[in-house]
Amino acid sequence: MGLLCSRNRHSNEADAKENAQAEEIERRIEQETRAEKHIQKLLLLGAGESGKSTIFKQIKLLFQTGFDEAELKSYISVIHANVYQTIKVLFDGLKEFSQNETDSSKYVLSGENKEIGEKLSEIGGKLEYPRLTKELAQEIETLWKDPAIQETYARGNELQVPDSAHYFMENLQRFSDANYIPTKDDVLFARVRTTGVVEIQFSPVGENKKSGEVYRLFDVGGQRNERRKWIHLFEGVTAVIFCAAISDYDQTLFEDEQKNRMMETKELFDWVLKQPCFEKTSFMLFLNKFDIFEKKVLKVPLNVCEWFKDYQPVSTGKQEVEHAYEFVKKKFEELYFESNTPDRGRIFKIYRTTALDQKLVKKTFKLVDETLRLRRRNQYEAGLL
Amino acid sequence: MPMFQPSRRDGVVAGFDGSGDGQVLDLDTAVKDGILGGVGGGVIGAAVCEKLDLKKMIEELDLPDIPPVFICPISLEPMQDPVTLCTGQTYERSNILKWFNLGHYTCPITMQELWDDSVTPNRTLYHLICTWFSQKYLLMKKRSEDVQGRASELLITLKKVKGQARVQALKELHQVVSSHATARKAVVEEGGIAVISSLLGPFTSHAVGSEAIGILVNLELDSESKTNLMQPAKISLMVDMLNEGSIETKISCTHLIEKLMEEKDFRPEVVSSHSLLVGLMRLVKDKRHTNGILPGLSLLGSICLLKEVRSLIVRIGAVSQLVELLPALEPDCLELALFVLDTLSSLPEGIGSLKDCPNTIPNLVRLLMRFSENCTQYALSILWSVCKLAPEECSSVAVEAGLGAKLLLIQCGCNPALKQRSAELLKLCRLNYTDTIFISKCKLTRTIQ
Repeated sequence: MGLLCSRNRHSNEADAKENAQAEEIERRIEQETRAEKHIQKLLLLGAGESGKSTIFKQIKLLFQTGFDEAELKSYISVIHANVYQTIKVLFDGLKEFSQNETDSSKYVLSGENKEIGEKLSEIGGKLEYPRLTKELAQEIETLWKDPAIQETYARGNELQVPDSAHYFMENLQRFSDANYIPTKDDVLFARVRTTGVVEIQFSPVGENKKSGEVYRLFDVGGQRNERRKWIHLFEGVTAVIFCAAISDYDQTLFEDEQKNRMMETKELFDWVLKQPCFEKTSFMLFLNKFDIFEKKVLKVPLNVCEWFKDYQPVSTGKQEVEHAYEFVKKKFEELYFESNTPDRGRIFKIYRTTALDQKLVKKTFKLVDETLRLRRRNQYEAGLL
Repeated sequence: MPMFQPSRRDGVVAGFDGSGDGQVLDLDTAVKDGILGGVGGGVIGAAVCEKLDLKKMIEELDLPDIPPVFICPISLEPMQDPVTLCTGQTYERSNILKWFNLGHYTCPITMQELWDDSVTPNRTLYHLICTWFSQKYLLMKKRSEDVQGRASELLITLKKVKGQARVQALKELHQVVSSHATARKAVVEEGGIAVISSLLGPFTSHAVGSEAIGILVNLELDSESKTNLMQPAKISLMVDMLNEGSIETKISCTHLIEKLMEEKDFRPEVVSSHSLLVGLMRLVKDKRHTNGILPGLSLLGSICLLKEVRSLIVRIGAVSQLVELLPALEPDCLELALFVLDTLSSLPEGIGSLKDCPNTIPNLVRLLMRFSENCTQYALSILWSVCKLAPEECSSVAVEAGLGAKLLLIQCGCNPALKQRSAELLKLCRLNYTDTIFISKCKLTRTIQ
């Protein structure tokens, strides 16, 4: 009897301890779930090369500790790769034009540049790139300055010349320095195709220090073959930041050279808007690459893009730029509202951005933050929170 | 006859105790303020009174809490020429003389017969009244100058500061401008409109924007300011705030945009915006803040006068939303809503939406002859257009909804145009029914039949 009693007591103690532990775990899970609820998820979406990753990097620079030296150095190989890729695209493009054009004399390289071009094109086609030495940098610069290449660059929209081509070509000397450490701007311009998903968590601290909002920002791959990876991220997102490069209206896709980039963006935006999981999500549309748009719209008419075919220019200079921008903005608005009946009461705002300009991105993000806080306040007042 | 009741507070007659509120002429304060002549204030008071016209001051001040001893018992207005009778009671000279002229030689308050019909000017009371009003008047003038001064200061501050300081300055200016006409004048005269407009742009925060709009909507805007405010980036900001702001901000934005539309060279594309129209519809449908409905409908009404924008209004689905709203609207809102629907019915897509919405006919029929004649006119016009579009379908629905009786009612007592229209509609509706069935549908009693 006594034994039984004592054994019972032992097992009771063991049970109690287990229960206490289980309770502790439960409590912690509950706490973390509650904490999770306060973290607002932001999803960066958009077609390839729309500037999503640049925005991502900017946020990292603005609201986290930025990039440390190791991280900066990790970009050296990326930047060198971008240099090789750029010059290869230009050289290959030049060869294509010289074969097809009637006035192919424009596309003839002078002197030794043809050999240099062939060599660089071969390097650029390999899987691994050599380090950018001073000699290679010099050769690339010589080739870049060749009039034929400049002619090719002028028609860069017909090829897959990256937007940052000019930046890379102008900074070759610095890039090829033996002790080169990339600057913040270098990192922002560097282009890597995002595969998979990257995320950062941050809190925008500003004058309004008691804001205390915690955001988790996700960046996903933009090219078509990566989109299936987005699906599992759609639940519980506070806001979608959709990036659209408005300077793309005369360019074609990397993955499908028959498709106009702006048309692709239009279709993607429409598809995203219709997803049921985004029924209550706020949409922040970033009309990006305004700096390139500004210059391009005065030289290349908007109506080369089918979506903008009813555009009529009204004046010149700054006024015309503003008018063109308003036109593009209205087109996106039209798309949003006419794919969105009945009106679900979602927040939809359009922002003009130039992702490479840190000050502008900071200002823009402050506005996004304000909008999301206002939304929470309105929902709270409406008794939804 | 008014019986003057001296206010008895705690059994003490007014005017003789030191305690009390502004109603009672507090002796202590009166001495301190110089009304009773202490500290040399009395002399100044009288002198000031001569310069400032007492009548003008009384009118301008329009104060509710004038000491009862200053009030004429006959007219209940402050006295400007107090005279005392032999009974010791004081009245306004013109009033007591009128009393005498009517043949009464009694003291209105004490009801005693007068043994002496002379009226003595009560200089003491006159002095007190003058001084009291002068003090109040000077105080008001000073406060108003202070307010003007404050408004000027705030404008200067706004040109210099940013961030939270800017928001604070705007908030205060908003408050000051809303409550003082002098502040408004000061802001306009010192180029404040341009300063505030310059704060509005694509990167303006909501905090700054909402206060700025709140200020601008209170001010008289000239042509140049209005044109400036019509820049696309500024309008975008207003539209955003109309969608996101508090109800007061939403209403301010609505009023401001409507003001801008009054401008001569107003270009319709400024309001040709999905965001604006969707935002307006949300405002109009807001059940929690009903004070936004009238301003929203008013702006919508102004916008649908612009032919170019009408089809956009229809495309965003405004027609069915307005139809669903009709039963719940107040009469003044109702007339506006019906006006909008009537205007939109002139478009093929508009009348199509009206026909497709199942509640159009029942809601409109219910409205006939229940509110203003304008309401009936618009409702009838819409019903006519809808029935003409699809006579077979719509007439039967209309008749089932009780249109017949209403039409007959209109025939009995409305203006000729309305009668004519209702006669036409009646003809249209009767086409598919025999007389007997139609009459029975009208649910008329035997006598009327």
